[in-house]
Amino acid sequence: MSAPGPGAPVIEARGLTRRFGAFTAVDAVSFEVERGEIFGYLGANGAGKSTTIRMLNGLLAPTSGTARVAGHDVAADPDSVKASIGYMSQKFSLYLDLPVMENLLFFGGAYGLSGKALRVRAGELLELTGLAGQDAAITGSLPGGMRQRLALAGAILHRPEVVFLDEPTAGVDPVARRAFWRLIRQLSSGGTTVFVTTHYLDEAEYCRRIGLMVDGRLVALDSPAGLKRTWVPDRVLVARGQGLAGAAAALAGRDGVRSVQPFGAGLHLRVDPARLDEAGVARILAAAGAREVAVDRAEPSLEDVFLAVVGREARGEAAT
Amino acid sequence: MTGPVRPSARVQLAAIFRKEVQQTVRDRRIMFMLVVAPLIQTVVFGFAVDFEVDRVPTLVVDADRSATSREDARRLLADGTLLSVGEESSAEAASAALDAGRASAALVFERRAEADRLSGRGQEVQVLLDGTDPNRTTVTSGAVSRFFSELGERLARERIEASGQTPPAQLRPIPRVAFNPGLATAPYMVPGIAAMLLVIVTTFTSAMGLAREREMGTLEQVLVTPIRPVHLLVGKMAPFVVIGLVVVTLLVGVGTWLFAIPIRGNLGLLLVGTLLYLLTTLGAGLLISTVSANQQQAFLGGFLFTIPAVLLSGLMTPILAMPGWLRPLTLLNPIRWYAEIMRGVLLRGAGFADLWLQFVVLLVIGVAIVAAATLRFQRRLG
Repeated sequence: MSAPGPGAPVIEARGLTRRFGAFTAVDAVSFEVERGEIFGYLGANGAGKSTTIRMLNGLLAPTSGTARVAGHDVAADPDSVKASIGYMSQKFSLYLDLPVMENLLFFGGAYGLSGKALRVRAGELLELTGLAGQDAAITGSLPGGMRQRLALAGAILHRPEVVFLDEPTAGVDPVARRAFWRLIRQLSSGGTTVFVTTHYLDEAEYCRRIGLMVDGRLVALDSPAGLKRTWVPDRVLVARGQGLAGAAAALAGRDGVRSVQPFGAGLHLRVDPARLDEAGVARILAAAGAREVAVDRAEPSLEDVFLAVVGREARGEAAT
Repeated sequence: MTGPVRPSARVQLAAIFRKEVQQTVRDRRIMFMLVVAPLIQTVVFGFAVDFEVDRVPTLVVDADRSATSREDARRLLADGTLLSVGEESSAEAASAALDAGRASAALVFERRAEADRLSGRGQEVQVLLDGTDPNRTTVTSGAVSRFFSELGERLARERIEASGQTPPAQLRPIPRVAFNPGLATAPYMVPGIAAMLLVIVTTFTSAMGLAREREMGTLEQVLVTPIRPVHLLVGKMAPFVVIGLVVVTLLVGVGTWLFAIPIRGNLGLLLVGTLLYLLTTLGAGLLISTVSANQQQAFLGGFLFTIPAVLLSGLMTPILAMPGWLRPLTLLNPIRWYAEIMRGVLLRGAGFADLWLQFVVLLVIGVAIVAAATLRFQRRLG
């Protein structure tokens, strides 16, 4: 068997299913992840994100279905899978009672690195993650953001082909989150495939593609822009100007207008693009007495997508 | 088959060993529990555990108040086993004193004791004994019986000689006690105490260590690395084997110095035996932790293993005194075999030729326990 070619997917899940007793945590999930891609896995708590990751990294055996990671079957050859991947679990899981450097030396050794090569690589990663000079600090004394970056360093010491990050930024402040995502993008541009779960929807925008999990099923999979096109067909408009508050009532109930909401000093509208466009909205507002009206198109957010997907799933369940 | 090169097991073992040493050495409480506590306890228990019975508090009830009764009481109380704590006026008063715990034995001389003896009718001396501690009671009663049977024999000889006849030949066993001529308790007990402390300390540290990793979530991070379960378990045991060997060496040193325990055999052989013993005790700890979800359960599991193991090892009570159905169970008990190795090497100077069975049994038990822990551990990965 040969290593997967450059075009072949790095992660390939086919009908991946895991049951715990009568409960199906992950239900026939299929997807592929390309080399160097940042693949986001979204879903509410308990939607099956962590269970999927644990099947892909060999911690849990699938009940049915297959998965290949870095060219190795997770059920048949979990040892090769483990050697090719890095993993950062949801809960910080380096040794809190050890110094930073000892943690890196231990996990480096676990992946077979040793001697000078290991020390050089560990030093390199401390530099990369902004932890240079912290070698001797006791891990438990580091603030949250630093711990997350150290955990990432521990997961990529052995230059894995794929890194699984399970809620890597949970409970970390926004500045630290931003710094962390800079590292993730850096990794991906170096050719490492990143599989990341999150429930911060703003972070998900950084992903090249996103899979959406609801109750163990993968219900949507596309790029952020593609998801928005599919799931939020309405056009989102922002209107600015004078006297909008009084004119807003003129929009309500008009043909093509789905919703109108005050947003700061302006208005947030969702319209059906087939029946009403920006110019039409501006005309209606001007006729209703607003002045200096400017109407611009705004990008729908992933939050809109998420709500649309979960809403459809909830209605679907109610119907059956 | 291509794919990533399998990481070298030697590098992985070294990494686990280093990490465990770092964590252990940094934790002062664990170091104290592992090294200092067994030393202190060996010294304290070495002095405290003494099967020799002496100075049993004894009351004398002398209703006869004759020369012979006074002389008998004086000589019986002079040999050290019994210690006079006073006199009582009647057997009833002495019995009440035993009930109250003021004495453990009482000698009651009846009113006509001297007259009975001189008349040749025979004399009876009542001995009241507190039977709470069977060993102590047996020894006390033995000391009293020996005294009076020797006295009786002497009186008989005197009478035969006085009548001008030759007394019969005297029969007397001459015991020669090998290995422990002074019959001191410490040389026998201290190796046993060391075996007991080692099993407690090492079983608990290994059981709690792995349970803590599971509880903290660090185990999950280790399980996604290519480390194999058997390497992980062996790597986790190794530092404690080293610490255990150091502790045994210290304990033997203290025993020699404070309790005059001889080192008649080869210390190297003892250390090899210790290594096999630690394989069983650390393995048992790991096995316990594989069936425990958290540190609390591991702690209770440690008790459920160590207490029966110590009580059914022959350290406290002779195995031959156990009921027949229970005796075979002790064959599975590593403490039993290790205590035999320790006592054999230290007290008797036994070599491998004498103790090979003990070594082989310990090795088999150790390998079986570690294998069971590894299998059980793998099953838990899901």
